[in-house]
Amino acid sequence: MIWQIIKKQGLLFWRNPQQLLLFLALPIILIAILGAALGSDFQNESSPIKMKVALLEHGEEQKEIEQFLADLHEKLPTEAVVAIENTIDTMAPIRSLRSVLESEEVSNFLEVNHFGSSEKEEIKDDDSYTAIIEVPESFSYDVLESIVLEKTEPPTLLVTYNEEQQVRTSIISNFLTQFQEQLTKGSFLGKNGIDLYTIEIQPIKGQVISINEKNPVSASSYYTIGMTVMNVLFLAGAIAYYAFHEKELNVFNRIILANVSRWVYFMGILTAGTIFAFIQTMIIFTFSWLVYGISFPNIVDFLIVTFSFSLSVGGLAVLLSALSYRLNSETITNFFMNIIATLLAVLGGSFYPIGDFSPLIQTIGNMTPNGAGLTAYLTLLRGDGIAGITDNLMFLVMFSLLTVIVAAICFPKRGVAA
Amino acid sequence: MIELVDLTKKFKQMYAVKNLNMFIERGEIVGLLGPNGAGKSTAISMLSSLVEPTGGDVRFDNKSILKNPAAFRKIVGMVPQNIALYTDLTAEENLLFFGRIYRLGGKELNRKVDEVLEQIGLTDRRKDVVKNFSGGMQRRLNIGVAMLHDPEMLIMDEPTVGIDPQSRNYILETVKRLNEERGMTVLYTSHYMEEVEFLCDRIYIMDKGNLIASGTKDEIKQILSSEKTILIRADRINGKFVEALEQHSLINRVTIGEKEVTILVPREANVFSEIIKLAESTGLELLSVDNKTPTLEDVFLHLTGRALRD
Repeated sequence: MIWQIIKKQGLLFWRNPQQLLLFLALPIILIAILGAALGSDFQNESSPIKMKVALLEHGEEQKEIEQFLADLHEKLPTEAVVAIENTIDTMAPIRSLRSVLESEEVSNFLEVNHFGSSEKEEIKDDDSYTAIIEVPESFSYDVLESIVLEKTEPPTLLVTYNEEQQVRTSIISNFLTQFQEQLTKGSFLGKNGIDLYTIEIQPIKGQVISINEKNPVSASSYYTIGMTVMNVLFLAGAIAYYAFHEKELNVFNRIILANVSRWVYFMGILTAGTIFAFIQTMIIFTFSWLVYGISFPNIVDFLIVTFSFSLSVGGLAVLLSALSYRLNSETITNFFMNIIATLLAVLGGSFYPIGDFSPLIQTIGNMTPNGAGLTAYLTLLRGDGIAGITDNLMFLVMFSLLTVIVAAICFPKRGVAA
Repeated sequence: MIELVDLTKKFKQMYAVKNLNMFIERGEIVGLLGPNGAGKSTAISMLSSLVEPTGGDVRFDNKSILKNPAAFRKIVGMVPQNIALYTDLTAEENLLFFGRIYRLGGKELNRKVDEVLEQIGLTDRRKDVVKNFSGGMQRRLNIGVAMLHDPEMLIMDEPTVGIDPQSRNYILETVKRLNEERGMTVLYTSHYMEEVEFLCDRIYIMDKGNLIASGTKDEIKQILSSEKTILIRADRINGKFVEALEQHSLINRVTIGEKEVTILVPREANVFSEIIKLAESTGLELLSVDNKTPTLEDVFLHLTGRALRD
């Protein structure tokens, strides 16, 4: 009997091409628009943000290093100088900075151009640069002297930021802070006699959504997930809309008079909501996989998340249906479709990863079905396994249970009054 | 077969139905008459076990159906006032869906669908989407769905509202045929008096939640045995004439139409000459003055002072 209700619901969707278009074409269009608007390249998984940095060197690091080593022979025993000569490559500050800025990991969103001191004014007039990093003369010499001989305070880099590119400048600032910390760490270790050879530049963590310690997540992937979990919410509203019209037209009464338990009908809505949410999600992800190459490392984990999220949408569908039956009005469904779903989308991070702004917002976002789904999908995409998303899965299941229980309490006992 | 005992439904402080008593025997067509808001649909909803009454009982073969309605639901087919169909589906898809809901399947379901389509005259439109049907065709399909499981009894809640006369006649003929050929019991509610007169063996008349009359057509018309109805037609009814009628001692009730006035007078009274005199004195040009055979409409008018479709 439940199957008949699901089949009927499928036929109703099929006979309503406008609705199908909204459910399937709209998220795909939104994914394309948002992905493109944020500068992502869907084919090569590049970053949504591009930055240009000008590196302006007033001195020559190699000459300064050679000078430093030469001067060192007069101040330290030969064995110590030899040891330092062996590790000097890892200690060279500009080389380290360049290795960070020009590393493969960041090359798809960070372009570094080198200039001499005479070109400074020309670069300042070029708005395309996010920052100009000036390396003062004898910077490397002073850094090495500070680390090895503890003679001087570490010198500073002069950085000029482009104020019109606030997000990008904050990323560059973050890079340089990390670099500065490495230098300080090197200086501290050197002063305390710890082997300098062990010092490595740590992987850089920025504030861009696409950078992660594991697999990077592109803007296209992010918005595929964001738009999918948002649009599937509307399916709950659509199913509730159909259910309410079944009541309005006395079709529900007809079903009850056929000695079909109201719980069968109730389960029909829940199951239809879950199945069609699952199908909708799968279609959008399959499309994204075929067109944009977005794929999940573990298909089983992906299916578990999709099912849990679909179940929460089924729960929402049955809750909205029960409430509209109870209130004898579809206002609640309209309110959900027009206000609540959008609010959930914003809180859940479908439009922007607002959770990055504060842990509290992240927690609130994860307390929405779409937010929990989005976090779970992103975590899987970054390479984590099911163990990393148990909280999100637990929330989705608990949310589904809660909606079903509230819906069951609200659902009419018999038919509905004429 | 079915008995309603002191059936009452109260919404907050208002009685939708108050102490309704009625019975329906097998094979009967029973009419439930009343204007909009009389409580007919609420009574039907309670009778069909969809709405719990505030008081009273509904008994099917001497057993209350309020606690355990399953046995009664098996033998009843409901034709609601609304078009309770999926208008985006075809006629056949609707019948197949509701047939399966009634636990029919396989060849039996297909045979039943063919049979019902034949009965309601929609065999050649079976593949058409319902929203493209005329109002009359939708009403016929609405009835067809209720007949899928071969019910013993049909409850029809104003099944001819808003359709053309041809479709209306088709539906009335279908109901009559189902009763005569299959012995189907029918409870038929309407505010169209002529439908009830055509179809029903016995009639219940409701107004404002109360039962105000019941019996066979003749029995009900007997209510008017002490009075007769006179229909006065004129080019234009004027106020003075109506006022004069209302003040006349022999005239019990005056109902005004656009070009006609209906009056109720004692059966033995001869008021023709009086009417002509009043018309002359008030400057009214009479077209005709007729003795009218009493109808259920007249009975309703007599009992409530209002026309059924007011």
